[in-house]
Amino acid sequence: MHPDGSVAVSVRGLRKIFPGGVTALDDVSLDVYSGEILALLGENGSGKSTLVKVLYGVYIPDSGEVMVNISGRLTRVHIREPIEAMRYGIVLVSQVPQLIDKLSVAENLALTLSSLKLKGSTPLSRISRISSVIERECERLGFKIDPNEKVYNLTYTQKQQVELLRALAINARVLLLDEVLTYLPTREKRKFYDILLKLRDEGRSIVLITHKLPEAFEVSDRIAVMRNGKILGVVNTKEITLQEVRSMMFGAAAKLLANDKTTRGKARKASEGEEIVVEGLYVKDDYGRDVVNGANLVVRRGEIVGVAGVAGNGQRELLEAVVGLRKPERGTVRIAGLDVTKKGAKLVRSLGVSFIPDRPLEYGCSIDHSVLDNVAVPFSLTNGLLLKWDPIREVAEKIVSEYQVVAPGVEASLKSLSGGNVMKVIVSKEIESASRAIVAYNPTRALDEVAAAYVRQRIRDRAEKDQLAVLMASEDLDEVLRISDVVYVANSGRLYGPLDPESTPREEVEKLMVM
Amino acid sequence: MVVQVIPDFLMRLSAAFSTLYLVALGHSLFEKSGMLNLAIDGLFFLSTGVSVFTAVTVHHALVGAGVPTALAPLLATLLAGLASMLIGLLMAWVLTNLPVSHAAVGFSLMFLGYGLGILAGYRVRLEVGNIRPYAYPYELPTYLAATAAAVAAGLAVHYLLHKTSFGAAIRSCGENPHAASSLGVRVSRVRMVAGALGLFVLGCGASLFPLLWQRYWDIKTYILGYGWFAFTIALASGRHPLLLMPFAAVFGGLIEFATALQALYGLQVDLAKMIPFVVSLALMVVYGATRLRKALEPPSSLGKTYYKEERTV
Amino acid sequence: MKMVVLRRKKELKYGALVVSGLSLLLGLLIYVAIIGFFGVNPLDALTSIARAFVTPTVVKDLLVLSMLGYALLIAFKASLWNIGGEGQFYISMLPGIVFTLYLFNPEQGAAIPPFAVVLLSVIGGSLLAAAWAALAGTIKAYLQIDEVPVTVIMNYVVYYLLNFLVWGPLKGKRTFGYLRTDEIPGVYRLNVRLPMLYISDPALSFLYSIARQVAYYSSFLMGAFLAAVFVWWVFRFTKLGLYVRIMGSNPNYLRATGVNTRALAVATMALSGAMVGLAGSLYLLTELGRLPYELERQTAGYGYLAVLVAWLSLLDYRLVPLSAYIVSALRNAGTTIQVAGLGGVEQTLILIGSVLLVYSLTRFLIEYEVKVEW
Repeated sequence: MHPDGSVAVSVRGLRKIFPGGVTALDDVSLDVYSGEILALLGENGSGKSTLVKVLYGVYIPDSGEVMVNISGRLTRVHIREPIEAMRYGIVLVSQVPQLIDKLSVAENLALTLSSLKLKGSTPLSRISRISSVIERECERLGFKIDPNEKVYNLTYTQKQQVELLRALAINARVLLLDEVLTYLPTREKRKFYDILLKLRDEGRSIVLITHKLPEAFEVSDRIAVMRNGKILGVVNTKEITLQEVRSMMFGAAAKLLANDKTTRGKARKASEGEEIVVEGLYVKDDYGRDVVNGANLVVRRGEIVGVAGVAGNGQRELLEAVVGLRKPERGTVRIAGLDVTKKGAKLVRSLGVSFIPDRPLEYGCSIDHSVLDNVAVPFSLTNGLLLKWDPIREVAEKIVSEYQVVAPGVEASLKSLSGGNVMKVIVSKEIESASRAIVAYNPTRALDEVAAAYVRQRIRDRAEKDQLAVLMASEDLDEVLRISDVVYVANSGRLYGPLDPESTPREEVEKLMVM
Repeated sequence: MVVQVIPDFLMRLSAAFSTLYLVALGHSLFEKSGMLNLAIDGLFFLSTGVSVFTAVTVHHALVGAGVPTALAPLLATLLAGLASMLIGLLMAWVLTNLPVSHAAVGFSLMFLGYGLGILAGYRVRLEVGNIRPYAYPYELPTYLAATAAAVAAGLAVHYLLHKTSFGAAIRSCGENPHAASSLGVRVSRVRMVAGALGLFVLGCGASLFPLLWQRYWDIKTYILGYGWFAFTIALASGRHPLLLMPFAAVFGGLIEFATALQALYGLQVDLAKMIPFVVSLALMVVYGATRLRKALEPPSSLGKTYYKEERTV
Repeated sequence: MKMVVLRRKKELKYGALVVSGLSLLLGLLIYVAIIGFFGVNPLDALTSIARAFVTPTVVKDLLVLSMLGYALLIAFKASLWNIGGEGQFYISMLPGIVFTLYLFNPEQGAAIPPFAVVLLSVIGGSLLAAAWAALAGTIKAYLQIDEVPVTVIMNYVVYYLLNFLVWGPLKGKRTFGYLRTDEIPGVYRLNVRLPMLYISDPALSFLYSIARQVAYYSSFLMGAFLAAVFVWWVFRFTKLGLYVRIMGSNPNYLRATGVNTRALAVATMALSGAMVGLAGSLYLLTELGRLPYELERQTAGYGYLAVLVAWLSLLDYRLVPLSAYIVSALRNAGTTIQVAGLGGVEQTLILIGSVLLVYSLTRFLIEYEVKVEW
């Protein structure tokens, strides 16, 4: 426990049930102390995000109390909107930066400051005043950010830095960080750790949500584990081991994971069946910036090629170019020997290539439609005017049972499924419909470890048994190293590799990611 | 003859500009906050009807009271703005607090606007027949003042939108209301202000149509579709208060030019009426097909239903 | 006071009917309140409306709007808001006028049998309307310009274009001083005229007058039926139907799967326009018989009324005829309610506007519920 011992924020008996019957919070009670870093761990659907969103006014609990330390006394409050939370000194930073892309950094921060009437800022204040404030803070923290830069020009790290600036600008007493550090490169992550530790020593509270146990162990004072909307326990970090925490999180499945060594197959011979060949590819992003600069890679039949890298280094645009959804400026993409460059997604799909996109809810499904309808789309790409519903229905039912999708049936609309189950549908239909290759971006995003393990296993099986070529980009380095036969690293639009994951030291890969 | 024609033409041109510019300006401010305004033509006509009713009624009241009647058209403009503003408040509240379709709401208000505009103005129209005596004085200074006022309004809106925090808040609601809320912006409040202010300006601008520009009003003018010109102006100029000006001037000129051609060279009346619509289409095509589009993009969340997992009011 | 909008756990039962019913009732109330404010006796208004539901004149609008409702339903399902029904409806009449009055005028010795001319007119009309709609679809799909203002502006272009043609090259020779085209020859007209009979029994007499109306517009009866079957078949059995439905919800998903959504949008608009054009050319041959001048003042506004029909049916093809019936009744009621000195069009506008407004504000209740805490 802490010498200070005062509670900054406390929740008692929180309950939240979402439409669809999902119990996100089930009688949750938790104290967060001043001057501590509390790690909040749990698998998907455990309720961790819901909890912090309740504290930030994004969700309203069905019942229960939220109490905030006001002038030394714990007072019950009703937080209905983010601005109310910020008035109490509570700030939420999400993994996806919640900033307005088309506005500048200064304008974004002005929104918060003027809403709270801080630093003399009112709605009719000039934005330029805030720019100077920002410059000072950036210098102090060692951030390199131009206040007049538009947010869409910033890197992912810089955007998270802006979020941190916001929290400091409003003198946040409680920082809620939802998977913020997960996808930062190691060096940036360490810098963030230093800042967090400093903030903690100033007496602030930090709730750190992460699914990476090592991260929790590295920087937290206490660990709270959630499962199925309940808090299973809160322990001092120094008094528990990683395996014990894992057992708490996953119960019986933990043993599965401890033994999960999704094995790689043997290394392939040099030129056996080149399925996907990318040569000298240059691609621009939506804003016209050059994000892929001369990429080269080869994926052979039955091989899994993993592209590691921090988000925003061109992986998304690279994969989209391979699949025909984005026209490259220069270079070629060949699939099964056929030049498919700039020829469109229809051709690539017709060759038997499936695609798990980045932003799966936007590009990977239609949430208003049923499982059946969603599965029908990739399975309907053969010639002919009419649909054959019987075989499609068979596939849909197989998917639901094998991937353990929790749904009333294949006619159920995706809207009524929980997030994790929607992801299962999105990912599984692509994995199962491929006949030549699978191209995937973060295939296990938002999946709990058990489901993620199954997806990885299935990808592995399809590669080995059905001799599919798999091109996978993932921001999760562990995942890339675990199942890839060949690894490339994406950095500033260039691909470094091919590397052998077995013989290349992890530090070297990380170095390539952040240089 | 020519000596008289030129000032006439200039006055009409300036009136055309003032009308179209203010309508497009108000519409743009409204849409910058992320709300789609398909009611524009209905609001346009409603405002004309309300302004005609007010102009005539107030005029008669002032005459009865022995007070100079110069105020009447001004009050008419004000009231038209207020009527439009009320609808703006309603739209803003509804579109932000309920998960409804912007298009459907706008479209229904368009029909209501036509119908209510007819009801608002028909009685006085029948009574007085010609509304010319109730319009703004047909003098150069008046018309120049109107144009100056329109430009001043544009500059003010520009300053608000691009130099102040509140303007940033308005634009943030248009780009990404969820992120805006997370940043502390009260989306509902901001949209209601933007909606009210925007449609107030729109209503004032539309009132200039019968009282300054055409100096005429009839029930059937609801089928003219001039609101859609303002819509096109706003679209093509990226809803930017300053860029709206040249586009509004071009459209005003086009309509007046076509009318003049009709009078001077016997351009068939239906062809004359068709020209501005064809130009609108062409302008939209040019906008969409060129780099103009990238530079003058609509707000990213324009017309998107705003629904958090939950909302409180 | 706190108001919370929550997603329902399960969709509201009979939600479509509840929303339609609510729209109708509350819309009517609003309408009555508005015109009451302007001096119309609400009771008179309601009586006229109630009566309109059972007048034989409702049959024509019902049939025409059913057909148009199906035409728009196809586009709306893809979230393509085809507000260009008016333009597509009238432009489809041009081939009919040209074929029947000029190319194959029986007075000049028609070279081909009448049904062939009718067929040509109808096919030509459909194709022209399809092309017109496809133009809007192309602008939307390839230039990403919102189809609502584009289609509305295109309506105006058609009005004035047709006005010009009627004033000029298509001006009639036997028009008794009115500016319009000639009447198309009777041999090409599609009405089936049952004789006027005097029947003493009022109920039978009423039924017979309905029968006469249905017979007169039998081409539309067939058209609406075919449209219904076609729409059902497309959405149940074809890939196009699946893609159209998904496009209405998330076109990005289709794009990611390699479906050419731009071509799909153009094709969908073309199909929708073709069906509108079919209705339009039938309308010329069955009802109008000619083209008037100042189209924008004379139009019944079917193109816009059909939008209401499609929306009120909540894009459920089974509800289209019911929705068409309701809108027809409202429209007919509107034209009979007189406010001193006005023509009645404003009644229709306010009525339609009110119903549509309530619809747009209550549609969400199918999937969401509202909880109010005091």
